[in-house]
Amino acid sequence: MPFLKKIFRFLRSMVFGMILLGLIILCCLAGSLIPQGESEMTYVRQYGSGTAMLFLSLGFTDIFHTWYFTVLEALLCGNLILCSILRFPAARKTMAGLKAQAEHADPAQEHPLEPGGAETVLAALKRARFRGNDRILTRNGIGACGSFLVHLSILVILLFGTLTLTTPVTQDVTVMPGETFTLADGTTVTCLSFRIQDETGRLDYASRIRVASPGEETGAEAEIRVNEPLRHGGTKVYQYTYGTKPVIRVTNTASGAEESFYVDAGDFLSIDGRNGLIFDALHPGYILNEDGTYTLITSSAMSYADPVYDVRTVSDGSITSVLAFPGETITIGDIGYTMADPVEYPGLRIKQTAPVLYAGLYFGFGLMIAALFLCFFMVPACARVEENGFVIRSAKPQDALLDEIAIALDGTDKKGDAP
Amino acid sequence: MTILLFAALILYFIATALQFTGVAVRKGQGPLCPAARAALIAAFVLHTAYTVWRGIAAGRLPLSNQFEFASGFAWAAALMGFLLYLRLRSQPVLTVTMPAAFLILSYAALQPQDIRELMPALRSAWFAIHIGSAAFSYAAFAIAGGLGIAYLVRLRKAGGTDEKPPEEDPRLRQLDSLGYRMICLGFLLLTVVIFSGAIWAEQAWSSWWSWDPKETWALITWIFYAIYLHQRLRLKWHGKRTAILAIVALALVLFTFAGVNLLLPGLHSYK
Repeated sequence: MPFLKKIFRFLRSMVFGMILLGLIILCCLAGSLIPQGESEMTYVRQYGSGTAMLFLSLGFTDIFHTWYFTVLEALLCGNLILCSILRFPAARKTMAGLKAQAEHADPAQEHPLEPGGAETVLAALKRARFRGNDRILTRNGIGACGSFLVHLSILVILLFGTLTLTTPVTQDVTVMPGETFTLADGTTVTCLSFRIQDETGRLDYASRIRVASPGEETGAEAEIRVNEPLRHGGTKVYQYTYGTKPVIRVTNTASGAEESFYVDAGDFLSIDGRNGLIFDALHPGYILNEDGTYTLITSSAMSYADPVYDVRTVSDGSITSVLAFPGETITIGDIGYTMADPVEYPGLRIKQTAPVLYAGLYFGFGLMIAALFLCFFMVPACARVEENGFVIRSAKPQDALLDEIAIALDGTDKKGDAP
Repeated sequence: MTILLFAALILYFIATALQFTGVAVRKGQGPLCPAARAALIAAFVLHTAYTVWRGIAAGRLPLSNQFEFASGFAWAAALMGFLLYLRLRSQPVLTVTMPAAFLILSYAALQPQDIRELMPALRSAWFAIHIGSAAFSYAAFAIAGGLGIAYLVRLRKAGGTDEKPPEEDPRLRQLDSLGYRMICLGFLLLTVVIFSGAIWAEQAWSSWWSWDPKETWALITWIFYAIYLHQRLRLKWHGKRTAILAIVALALVLFTFAGVNLLLPGLHSYK
């Protein structure tokens, strides 16, 4: 089957690997230049209907999750396995190959030595970390594994990276201070407190969180903030966002009963269903104009420095809009509605995943950095020293080493300022 | 203290002008090149003083916005170029380092320079590793790209003969080899940048990879340099072709550094 052999040879070739990398670059370019994951209308508005439809049909609007990007990644994995990993035995023979080359070279012709010079060269080579017998010396033999380990680490990263991106169960939840959220597996996440600023007034979104696995009484408790999530078993809780919730305290002046409510826009607080208070909005603050009137700040991106409640009273069929500050009470019949201080709360991201997957991913990261170091800075070399000369064989030029030997031999530096 | 920064900028310019004149007119001989080196050292000292002052004034590593990162990038380029020169005594290294430091610091000088408190998302132990290695990685790539340009210029001037093709010129070989070594160093550091960023992103955003434009362009750059290394090590490309690749790759680095921030906002758009 020469045709199949040809195809197999191409699939395991470096050229095929380079083609795959080139195609991945093209996908990345498209994925970074075309906004990803937007609605269809957004693309139609931005590019016109023809181009938008083309992008949508080709999957350019979510390119990193298309079948062809997945196929590219799978082919790259296959190429890495066939091209590099299965060739590891060849890498192990690198040093043997260098030794054979050194054995077949003619030292007297390449780097001739004066009588007695061999001892000096040997001493210089040993200073340069060459080890071996008196004739054949080698260094950085481990560097021959560098290329293999780099490719192996890419495979480890692709495998564990895919698993860590696809398997976790992630959900974003809002947990008011003092409340508990229960996950599907019974794990509980309790928010004990939340603050936006630290003691010095510096922005520092921090929540005190307790996480307990099913059946566990105490669990783990810690203050989380951006960059400092809480990990407990396979559950990780992140300080993800925050918000401000308006609170209205309702008091029945007749009975003395009192209850506080977190309210959302449009909520109608009423006892009899006819009279009561409609909550419309909480504004972060206001600006006092020169003429004594107020202009409300409506941007929710602001901190709620001087909050203003925007409500409507409903009394005997008439509706009246009212602005109220925290502490103010609006009375409708026997019911008092007191605007309380708004409560700041955290938005938490809860992720459940197997910690071993991240261990595998981080192992891949460490392995690649170590392997690249081996590749670039631990280049295998072999030297053969005879009485009449010496040779050095390596995959890369050894100019610096030759200079050191030259200095040792005659005490002069061959290097000068080169223009 | 901004005077220190502008004094450094002027001295980098003077160093560049002296070095170019010295190399072009006097072939690297005479007093101009030593004067250029002295100007470079003076610029670097002032630049370092400014960076230290800014770090003390801000109470953190001064690498948190476009101005500070560009300044750090220029500082790293000057440091790496000068250390490389001390080791190899190679004039071309200085000839590309000086304009690189000057141009990058000029870009920095155009950015807003106010000192701001570090935003909560950037308060992490990974900040120094991620951004610091990025500055040195970009600096190594900038020098490699500069050496690529120097290679092509020298190749054009050398012309070459039948007996001695231009690629056989030992100075060209040195430029080629130096460019490759800087790319090896930059590639290793860029790998550290990507991995430290991934670990940090997992801690901050819960996902180690989000296909954010900055991440994607860092990956594009990394893959491009990986292609360069494969072409060089396995297909034995060298000389003109690798010089051109190094220059194209530098364009990618510069787009990742500045272009993405300007044109493709994402998770890395810290204002």
